[in-house]
Amino acid sequence: MSARIFVCESCGRAVFPHRLLCPECGGAAFRDEPVESGTLEDFADRGEVRIGVVRVAAGPLLIARIEGPPQRGATVALDEDGAVPVARA
Amino acid sequence: MPERTQAVIVGAAETPYSRHPPEGTTTESVLADAFLRVLEATGVRREEVDGLGVASFTLKPDRAIDLAWKLGVRPRWLMDDGNGGVSGIQMIQHAMRALDAGDATTVVLVSGDHFTRDDFKTLVDEYNQTTARYLARIPHGGPNALFAMLTRRQMEEHGLGRADYGRLAVAQRRWASMNPNAAFRTPLTIDEYLNAPPVVEPLHRLDCVPVVTGADALVLRVEGPGVRIRALRALHNVDGQEGTGLRTGIADIADELWRDADAGPADMDVISVYDDYPAMAVAQLNDLGFVGDGDLGGFLRRVDDERLPVNTSGGQLSAGQAGTAGGMIGLVESVLQLQGRAGERQIEEARLAVATGYGMVLYRYGACANAIVLERP
Repeated sequence: MSARIFVCESCGRAVFPHRLLCPECGGAAFRDEPVESGTLEDFADRGEVRIGVVRVAAGPLLIARIEGPPQRGATVALDEDGAVPVARA
Repeated sequence: MPERTQAVIVGAAETPYSRHPPEGTTTESVLADAFLRVLEATGVRREEVDGLGVASFTLKPDRAIDLAWKLGVRPRWLMDDGNGGVSGIQMIQHAMRALDAGDATTVVLVSGDHFTRDDFKTLVDEYNQTTARYLARIPHGGPNALFAMLTRRQMEEHGLGRADYGRLAVAQRRWASMNPNAAFRTPLTIDEYLNAPPVVEPLHRLDCVPVVTGADALVLRVEGPGVRIRALRALHNVDGQEGTGLRTGIADIADELWRDADAGPADMDVISVYDDYPAMAVAQLNDLGFVGDGDLGGFLRRVDDERLPVNTSGGQLSAGQAGTAGGMIGLVESVLQLQGRAGERQIEEARLAVATGYGMVLYRYGACANAIVLERP
């Protein structure tokens, strides 16, 4: 169970969503890297759906669907639904 | 410093903004309406128009050339701009150089949209590839949830409450009551603002722009009497979507803009900032240097209590957001004010105006920003 980020093969800079060239070094090759958890920095409650911004240790911010009661600053487990990150509070 | 353009803006026009446009209204019909209105306002004949720039989300699959054909214009300079909230200033950035270089002598720029329900859902879900792939399938339901998160963060960082943003909404509605083109003209009380139904907390209905049908247009000429362009600066993708979103590219260009303009915030008689949400309007006012001491709440109280000339057409919050016309509404208002043609809401002796563009939410917030300083003829 994990979401994924994209890591530059040349310099190790992590991004999400994917880029064409690394913002740091300009490298064009990225590898997928699984991320299993992150910190919920912000969330918005749309009623039936909650969305949030999750920061992972490697740096990137992922906008995720939140399952379970959200709490800012809490560690969330990450998963994927297709390309969409899912955060389990 | 970039060379100051010799091109001038000779006139501006706007169609009425409408929640419920007449049967048969289309995007091209409302763009044509704005085109005719700006010719009427300026006395420019259609045959004189040799440049055309068009910004619209819903004109597709047509492009600027389709509109030129259907309007009977033979352009030597032609531009499509799909960049929403910055498209108006962006088209000026290109057009003024084309005029300086002699590519054209008389340019019409037109922006506007008419959305069907399906058009709007498509725009929101397929705004760009990133949105279609990563956001629409959450489902994120459009930008409101993203800007709800930004607004909450700004509230915490600056100690703001909903009532502070309400000051801007109330003040802009007061201006809108004097703008016959605005979709919402009935004066608003702070209680009405606070009691509006929630959309996504902390945003309520009056924090979210009403979608309307409408179009705006400008005419630029190579010379002659007209509103002068003192300065224009742009900066897009300033932070790769990896910042807070509360500091726009305008913060990084403000010093250059004021230096180019040989003026500062205190000299501005008319201020128009892109107001898709109150928090972003405030962020741009701060980025431009209007807030000074960083006390956003105090500044918002002054906007209301001291009737500061901010978004004097009512802005998008009250006049409405006619799609890409949101990138031109502040320009049209600036030109009308500087020409003394703003009717009941005319600012006396208006000499200098600043307008901003902001937008293109790539993932978390708007990536594009620009700003222009204009001077009366």
